[in-house]
Amino acid sequence: MLNKQIKLAILAIFIAIPFITFAQETLTGLQIIQNVYDRPAGEDQVGDLTMSLINSRGDERVRTIKQFVKEFDNMEKKIMYFVSPADVRNTSFMNWSYNEEGKDDDQWIYLPALKRVKRISSDSKSDYFMGSDFTYDDLGDRHPSSDTHKLLREEKLNGEDCYVVESTPKEEEYMYSRTVTWIIKDKWIGMKKEFYDEDGDHLKTLSVKKFEKIDNLWTILHSEMHNVQKNHTTKMELKNVKLNTGIPDNKFTERMMKRGI
Amino acid sequence: MGKFTKLSAMIFTLLLVSNGFGQSLFFSGYGRNYTGALINGDHEYTIIQNTFNLNIEHSKNNVAFKVNPYIYQYPNAELKLNLREAYMDIFFDSMDLRIGKQQIIWGKADGVFITDIISPKDLSEFLLRDFEEIRTGITSIKADYYMGNNTLELVWAPTFTPTIMPDDNSFWYPQMYFPIAPTFDNSKRDVEQNVGNGEYFAKYSVLSSAIDFEIMAGYMWDDDPTMHITKTMNSQTKQLTSLTITPEHHRLGLGGGSFSSTLGSFVLRGEGAYYNGKYFNTENPQIADGVVEKNYLHYLVGLEFTLFNINMSTQFIQQAILDYDKPIKNDEFENTMTFLAYKTFLRETLRLELFSYIGLNNSDALVRPKITYDFSDGFQMVFGANIFVGDEGRFGQYDDNDMLYAKIKYSF
Repeated sequence: MLNKQIKLAILAIFIAIPFITFAQETLTGLQIIQNVYDRPAGEDQVGDLTMSLINSRGDERVRTIKQFVKEFDNMEKKIMYFVSPADVRNTSFMNWSYNEEGKDDDQWIYLPALKRVKRISSDSKSDYFMGSDFTYDDLGDRHPSSDTHKLLREEKLNGEDCYVVESTPKEEEYMYSRTVTWIIKDKWIGMKKEFYDEDGDHLKTLSVKKFEKIDNLWTILHSEMHNVQKNHTTKMELKNVKLNTGIPDNKFTERMMKRGI
Repeated sequence: MGKFTKLSAMIFTLLLVSNGFGQSLFFSGYGRNYTGALINGDHEYTIIQNTFNLNIEHSKNNVAFKVNPYIYQYPNAELKLNLREAYMDIFFDSMDLRIGKQQIIWGKADGVFITDIISPKDLSEFLLRDFEEIRTGITSIKADYYMGNNTLELVWAPTFTPTIMPDDNSFWYPQMYFPIAPTFDNSKRDVEQNVGNGEYFAKYSVLSSAIDFEIMAGYMWDDDPTMHITKTMNSQTKQLTSLTITPEHHRLGLGGGSFSSTLGSFVLRGEGAYYNGKYFNTENPQIADGVVEKNYLHYLVGLEFTLFNINMSTQFIQQAILDYDKPIKNDEFENTMTFLAYKTFLRETLRLELFSYIGLNNSDALVRPKITYDFSDGFQMVFGANIFVGDEGRFGQYDDNDMLYAKIKYSF
């Protein structure tokens, strides 16, 4: 009887293996990118962001930001308080990013010298954030439907099994002609991403240097964007990260932009 | 001795406060040199100013305070020491209270004051000062009640603070044309400080995905005095023998609103107010003191957009006197435009900017090109020009005051 069960089990495994392999192989580029997009990041997150801008001569400028992010039913709200340098202290930036496909983000900025919350256009996604190597779009979650995705290959990177996916924007005027992303198979983290400019030349590379499980959720803590054409690098480190702390809804309001941290 | 005493008192206070609050007291501010000279003539200096601006802040649980002393130092002149703001905050669940001297800014317009009428202007240098410095703080109690993204704000200013005008000998003293030299009678200039002479403001504002808007009302004093004119004529020659000007502030009621919304890549703004009880000078000889009371509208529409990677913004502003009488000195409609263009370079460390006011009635303008360079974090250099175009009008009257300037600022 036992012998029969073992035989059946072995048979089942042999039958299943090709299907498992087949199932893995049939993951499309879109499915892989969708999995990255859908990777749980918690209901809310608070952390201290340090951005170090390093130019070709090695000169470094540091910007520090306190950020709060929260998922709502149909949108993600984020508020950033600029802590340093001194001349931008108490400036705050709020972004409401909608799940609805094609709906533009709403953005506001509070400048302490003006003492007024001002609505700004979210159309400048190709602008660089605070002089860094990250554009506003690089920092957001680009919806998978904005690009056409193609699985190029599978390979190891830094000891991790990765899918390599090429994404080509559907929008003709987009700032990148294509991106290539190395995605860790079992974690759905984009570990490396190459950006190609409108002429198809390699522009910059994003490398994830450190990620950890916080509250059982994979969280990127340290990444670097290197502009290969200008030999300029931005290091982005997230410290004191806390997930699911129950940030109140009213954190993401004009009142809190003005009040500051 | 006076300035020494003031400085000593300030330093003593700071030390006292620092010791009391220890590490939790937060200091920030800047030091700045601002030098400007006329382009024409002998290149006379229009300004040589050294500034020290300090923000002292502390917060604990649901209370906070801020004090913002500043010093302007001019060569061979007394130090000018003042408080831009000095207030306390009390935060409740759905309400905030701010009590003390504070700047209160309303509206959506840039560089134009329509519903932004609570904090009076400091026009010592016309409209050339930085935003933070052009508005003076007023002693008031401000209560904000929050309902999600809706806010009801009530302000009571127990005393009246007028616009600060340039000194008589200043480059920026406005032109006034009189047939003979007038005598000023300042006996009615001050508004008596009593409970009945307070100012009251209310605003309801909404910030939402589709649109941000504000609706406001105010019962206030006109920040700018009305110039009542008394003429004496020689009965035989019919010649004007004396002219007495009596500046007087009058009560003003106003209601208005503003909005801001995005239309694709454009940000559309609008702001308007109806002023009830504004006084205008008139040349009607039947009017004894040379002023008439009229209601008037002040409004604008503006658009912000990006073209060729240059950030641009333009506004059209109109002031309309209702029930207009021909002898009123002001035009029935006064139209002004503003235009702003800027672009940053070198990872936002270099900014080129051009801002201008254009007076459409008098074909005059103020053109303000500016280069800002962040030499290192917190250390900024600004080089700019203020070019006045035209012969008359709000900007053209300063045609001889075209100037170049430099500002060097260190923030900490």
